[in-house]
Amino acid sequence: MSASRVIRLVWFVTWFNVRMLLASEFFILTTFISPLIFATLAFFLFQSGGGTAGQTLLYVALGAGMMGVWSTTLFGCGGAIAWQRWEGTLELLVSAPSRYDFILVGQTFGAVVLGFYGIVATLAWGVLLFGMPIEATFPLVLPLSLLAAIVSLGSLGMLIATTFVLYRHANALGNLLEYPIWLITGLLVPISVLPLWIKPISYLLAPTWGMEAIRGATIGAEPPLLAIAMCFILACAYYVAARYTLVFVLDKARRDATLALQ
Amino acid sequence: MTTTLPRPAMPSAPVAPADGHAIEAVDLVRTYHTHLGVLRRRKIEVPAVRGISFAVRPGELFGLLGPNGAGKTTTIKMLITLLLPTSGTARVMGYDVVRDTTEVRKRIGYVFGGDRGLYDRVSALDNLRYFAELYGVDPDVQRTRIGALLEMVGLTGREKEKVEGYSRGMRQRLHIARGLLHDPEVVFLDEPSIGLDPVGARELRQTVQSLVDAGKTVLLTTHYMFEADALCDRIAVINAGRIVALGTGSDLKGAIANRTIVEIETFGVTDEAVGRLRADPEVGAVNTEERDQSQILLVQSERGAHITQRLLGLLGETRIGKVVAREPTLEDAYVHLIATTGDDEARAARAASVQ
Repeated sequence: MSASRVIRLVWFVTWFNVRMLLASEFFILTTFISPLIFATLAFFLFQSGGGTAGQTLLYVALGAGMMGVWSTTLFGCGGAIAWQRWEGTLELLVSAPSRYDFILVGQTFGAVVLGFYGIVATLAWGVLLFGMPIEATFPLVLPLSLLAAIVSLGSLGMLIATTFVLYRHANALGNLLEYPIWLITGLLVPISVLPLWIKPISYLLAPTWGMEAIRGATIGAEPPLLAIAMCFILACAYYVAARYTLVFVLDKARRDATLALQ
Repeated sequence: MTTTLPRPAMPSAPVAPADGHAIEAVDLVRTYHTHLGVLRRRKIEVPAVRGISFAVRPGELFGLLGPNGAGKTTTIKMLITLLLPTSGTARVMGYDVVRDTTEVRKRIGYVFGGDRGLYDRVSALDNLRYFAELYGVDPDVQRTRIGALLEMVGLTGREKEKVEGYSRGMRQRLHIARGLLHDPEVVFLDEPSIGLDPVGARELRQTVQSLVDAGKTVLLTTHYMFEADALCDRIAVINAGRIVALGTGSDLKGAIANRTIVEIETFGVTDEAVGRLRADPEVGAVNTEERDQSQILLVQSERGAHITQRLLGLLGETRIGKVVAREPTLEDAYVHLIATTGDDEARAARAASVQ
């Protein structure tokens, strides 16, 4: 496939996935409401802990928004595959002449695009209801940090979603991954409070670097360029891993006849 | 609905493969693995396809006819690269279905029957645009091709409606349009008329015929005899994972040409009475059809209409309605084939495979 054809395919699948997700009332509820709930919880917890409005509040609010984005991403990537299996379209996607990994990338982008809403909504919610100032140490780097953070979540969602192609009940496993990822990637609490043995795992997960990029841009002493770079490097690594995982997964699905199972 | 098939410029694929066959299956076998039990799980092997061989010529409409569970869909799924054969080989337009999956996928269209396989929450047009991208249809020809296909399947004017509001017949026609988006050389139709009303089924048969008229090779699976007889150049009857007969509709009917079919309308016939008919050495096969208040027994025999009195005697006290003796149809040939092949062997193979 030519590069232009790949770009067009990914763009089209992204657009289509956004449309499909927005056609689901359940997804709209998850996407549009959950970041606001998480942000509200974070604001009140922050205030009850004696925190005052400022850059730290922005960091905390964005962390809460990222929790909502992760929920959206898991649903948008993995849930979409489970839905396609149920609708009977998964077989058609897998047996299309286009490479399935590009289709999966497009589906991931679709979830990421909507996930970006979670961040914007969190900021607006904080400003309007809690008087949160949009103040950051490195305000010009902050948008790039947010993009890197969302890409980090999307790429991890895509990698996990590859297993959803193989097993019809993998979606349940995906749901179970929602809270652990919050915890060990620093979305819920800073990873500095986690046991030492978990930290190597945390740093292999791109969202850890995404959260670090947000922290660095809002309250850090230096621009979080390393964290931003790590987000994109790990996202590329996840894509490569997802591609080769798919080769194995699709072969096994053809061998075990699991694509049509609901 | 028009039956004019759009013929846009399409792939650089060969018109006919080097070996002269559009589809070729050689000793295809597919076994499924499953488990029984909860605490003491036993692994069992279920043979779905047990050594199928056939070849389809370019431009031919080839039918796979068989009862539910005979192995039709499994065979198709191996040919369209969705399942790996347990053993045996298959080629589509000269490409191996295991090794050359991308080349095969470029050249085939796959349409299955039923409600699934479409994105319900968006319009038919969005569905077709999406699959056109996935099938690599040139953006310059997408608009005209989608328009032509919508016209062909009679959905022009309804294409902007959400698919969830479509009737089953409309969905089936949309399936066909989707399967033809990339102008495939070979089209697989897996029970496309299932669940359609008589008018919808007739329109669908016209559409299928138009595919052949446009030069496509079509492999059609069905368990409707009249559909296979009306459409197919050749028919393979498949039962319990094996092809039990292959030929034209006339060939298949010829297998029981020396038989007479006696149709006996009964009211409240018992299993014992039907068993007595089946046990009679002069009777070839007995098929039972349930009607509102009655049961129609279709009895095959080589004795001609002379056997009628004997059959009525075997039915004993059963209340009898109309009795007719007639020439055999393809359906009768099919019933004979299914009744006399496969089942015992399949059960034996399944029982033996329990590990």
